[in-house]
Amino acid sequence: MFKDLDPILHSQLRLAVISLLIGVKEAEFTFIREKTNSTAGNLSVQINKLKEAGYIEVIKQFKDNYPQTTCKITPEGIKAFELYVKNLQSYLTAGK
Amino acid sequence: MNMEERKLSEQESLALITQMINTAKNSFVDTGIGPILWGAVITLCSLVQVAQIQFDFELPVDIWFLAVIAIIPQIIISVREKKLQKVRGWTDQTLSYVWMCFGIGVFLMNFISISYVQQIEPVLREYEQLTQKSTGHLHFWSYATSFLLFLYGVPTIVTAATRKFRSMLLGGILCWVCCVICVYTNIKIDFLLMALCATTSWLIPGIFIRTQFLKQGKLADV
Repeated sequence: MFKDLDPILHSQLRLAVISLLIGVKEAEFTFIREKTNSTAGNLSVQINKLKEAGYIEVIKQFKDNYPQTTCKITPEGIKAFELYVKNLQSYLTAGK
Repeated sequence: MNMEERKLSEQESLALITQMINTAKNSFVDTGIGPILWGAVITLCSLVQVAQIQFDFELPVDIWFLAVIAIIPQIIISVREKKLQKVRGWTDQTLSYVWMCFGIGVFLMNFISISYVQQIEPVLREYEQLTQKSTGHLHFWSYATSFLLFLYGVPTIVTAATRKFRSMLLGGILCWVCCVICVYTNIKIDFLLMALCATTSWLIPGIFIRTQFLKQGKLADV
């Protein structure tokens, strides 16, 4: 019996954001935008969804008088990502 | 690749995860200035020390104060690099702690050595007077260089292995080889080996890192 893939993560941009954040301690919004090649507006919406799900933490602060948004994955986000990968593997193994 | 909010196939998901993890892995920033600074300073101090022994002269101040002064530009470099970093990896903090422990370790090593030398010096002088034999081979700094080179090797090898800097790894291994050689060589050769180790561990890899960094055009104003 296959388990459903987490709908929060099973979207291109949100999965890209989580996959980026899993490998780093924290990353600035501009870095994520650059690496995912997304628009600021769309990324902002998707980051908000991940934040609402409790998968990431968003820190807004000022650095040298400029607003700075930093994102980092939460323990809940790590668990969700691991489960997503595990479920994904079961789909792929069954497909072979 | 322009990303939209769309559902992915399982294969696409896996490919995206792999791609993003690799992107994150390769996104650390190393400007190379730190290794160049320390490589140049330690090489210079060691060579001046060798010149002082060879030509029998003394500078009005201890040349190694230069290494203490170099902490100031290092702090400025670190603050500037940190400000410009858009991403912080898990290894960044660990490596910072490793180098901080190394710095404290060098300070403690020198403190212990100086304290020990001050205590043993009168005993050696008395021994020389009584026996008319030279105690030059017991010069404590000759042994301290071995300990220092061992210490140099530790953070160098850890950094090189973490960041996959091959040239730095070879330099770090050379530090450990030289720390053994130093046990059997006189103090002049010890400092020459120290200069060699600083050049191969930090200066040359630092130049490589800097060249690569400038090629990539990352944070070119650092």
